[in-house]
Amino acid sequence: MVAIDPSLAADVTKPKADNRQARTGWGLAAPALILMFLILLVPIIAAGVLSFTNYSLGNPSFDWVGLQNYERLFTRSTYEKMYVATFTYVVTVVPISVGLGLGAALLVHSLGRIGDIYKTIYFLPVMATLLAMAIAWEFMLHPTIGMVNRTLEMACGTWFEVIPFFADGCAEGFPLWLGDRDYAIWVVCFIGIWQGFGFNMVLFLAGLTSVHRELYHAAEMDGARSGWERFRLVTWPALGPTTVFVVTISCIRAFQVFDTIEAFWPQGGGPNKSAYVMMFAIFEKGIQQNLIGIGSAITMLFLLFVMFLTLIQRWLVERKVHY
Amino acid sequence: MSDLQIASVTKHFGETSVLKGVTLDVKDGEFISLVGPSGCGKSTLLRIIAGLETPTSGNIAIGGINVTQLRAADRNLSMVFQSYALYPHLTVAENIAVPLQMRQMSALQRLPVLGSIVPGARTQKDDIAQAVRHAAEMLEIAALLDRKPGQLSGGQRQRVALGRALVRDPAAFLLDEPLSNLDAKLRVQTRAEIAELHRRLKATFIYVTHDQVEAMTMSDRIAVMMGGEILQCAAPDVIYEDPDDIRVAEFIGSPKINILPVERNGTALTVFDQVLNSRLSIDSPKVMQMGLRPEALQLTQSAPRLTGRVVHLENLGSEVFAQIALDSDGSRVTLRAMPEQRQNLGLGAPVGLSFDLNAAMIFDAGGARLRQVELAATRAAEVA
Repeated sequence: MVAIDPSLAADVTKPKADNRQARTGWGLAAPALILMFLILLVPIIAAGVLSFTNYSLGNPSFDWVGLQNYERLFTRSTYEKMYVATFTYVVTVVPISVGLGLGAALLVHSLGRIGDIYKTIYFLPVMATLLAMAIAWEFMLHPTIGMVNRTLEMACGTWFEVIPFFADGCAEGFPLWLGDRDYAIWVVCFIGIWQGFGFNMVLFLAGLTSVHRELYHAAEMDGARSGWERFRLVTWPALGPTTVFVVTISCIRAFQVFDTIEAFWPQGGGPNKSAYVMMFAIFEKGIQQNLIGIGSAITMLFLLFVMFLTLIQRWLVERKVHY
Repeated sequence: MSDLQIASVTKHFGETSVLKGVTLDVKDGEFISLVGPSGCGKSTLLRIIAGLETPTSGNIAIGGINVTQLRAADRNLSMVFQSYALYPHLTVAENIAVPLQMRQMSALQRLPVLGSIVPGARTQKDDIAQAVRHAAEMLEIAALLDRKPGQLSGGQRQRVALGRALVRDPAAFLLDEPLSNLDAKLRVQTRAEIAELHRRLKATFIYVTHDQVEAMTMSDRIAVMMGGEILQCAAPDVIYEDPDDIRVAEFIGSPKINILPVERNGTALTVFDQVLNSRLSIDSPKVMQMGLRPEALQLTQSAPRLTGRVVHLENLGSEVFAQIALDSDGSRVTLRAMPEQRQNLGLGAPVGLSFDLNAAMIFDAGGARLRQVELAATRAAEVA
């Protein structure tokens, strides 16, 4: 009767040990958790809270205004222009820059050593800061002394005038580009594509290296004669995960477009607010006009879009392109 | 199904020459193995036959028609790849269906949604599904048809790759080391299955492997390749028992054949100064090599031709392989013994070995077989 059942003894001490281990675990994780909360979550929560107020920086207090800020976002024509500009940009830039990136990647991939030169050239706009490049573009697009319009004027008096664009341009002057509300957002789109597709190309190139070479041989043996058939059968499915990632990243980058707008039109988001994109709106309301409440509301809306995109990406990756 | 001729095919990659004029005739329905160490050019040759590489010179003909300039897709050959090369995004059924879809359906019919509206697409699809089911049943993978390759084991993937190859009726099957990614047990099983498949389909198979056991067990003929040439192409038993070249003799057979240096002194054939016979003609070379398979050596006490000590033993149950360091020069030979002889083969035990000169193969210093010398030697032995 002296012997104590060892399993009973263990039962008594085990929970204590477990507790201690759990406490230590929490203790060790605490700094990271606190930092994450303070640095990553608190600003977003703060923005969320502020979006229901009329707070301005420097004011001693603020009033709760409920959904008023959001209501404005969906009623005022300025914000309607903001949506039009933002979505025009996203819907134009994303497919074209992804498509061009893929095309360039396929072409560069098929080259040998010369491919590296192309890679560098296409990547240059990505490496150059958009702000600096915007200044260069501003010069080029200047209505009278810019390189673009001067080049276009050279076509006057030649058979180019058959094309309505040149006929009109030669008769009434070529577009003002940055100063024309019909052209402004498209110019911004063009620069966005010009700047972004090199980045997409690099991502696609990384994806292409992971395509098993024997798959192309198998496709050839199976009777895929044209490059298009091999692309459909091997390359495109293999690039599925890369494509989803590239599209998501491009979307987020497109939603975030700001520096070109700020460089071209520091005072108002393009002629007649035709290039008044979301990020510029946040900047203008929240920083320039010190309307923190409305700025925060746009920020929350922006986060919602990005979150939505990310969720779609996750869903696609898990359901459709993951083998 | 048709025969296949490879006529003096060479292949250079820049400065290096991978194939140095390979000629091979494969008969209709034959199972030929291309075997050799890695880097001997056997895979390159297979890819040239397939049309995935173009030869630097030479011709490939299938069924009497020169296909050298024809692209792979138009040669009507099927290939099983070492990595299986299954399309990861397609199910097993879709994978097997690809070769049929690519060849039988028009580009319009293959379109994802529109394709099904195109006239004839429905019946085409049904025919293909039927063929796929038939192939899957033959390979016993019918239960896996809806899975993706990522969910299959190595052996199952291998079967799917086979299924994709045999779903249509190709002129020949090309197999590039299809068993090398399988574990040992599965390899033995699949080996038998592929051989059986060949008998059933009566199709031409060209099988590339570095594993001599696979080549020996499956093929009608083995082409032993080394350094970009076919050294010998013959039936497995001929390759084993009657090799033309010392490299063939060394490559085929496990454990490796024993090579002993032999010399001609006058008319006498000697090994380690011991005269084996003395009827050689004077014009046979002075320095030669003698190949003896492990089973050609016998343990003997009386008048052994070779003596040595046991340095290593491998007991395989049904037989015992003993490595014996020869007293004369310390080189090692391998002996195959029966399990009951094990008591005489303790480590370090002195042993005497004899052999029948009939079983010995004589090669010159360069490795070429000297059948004349063998003939003279054995005739002399008989007289003695």
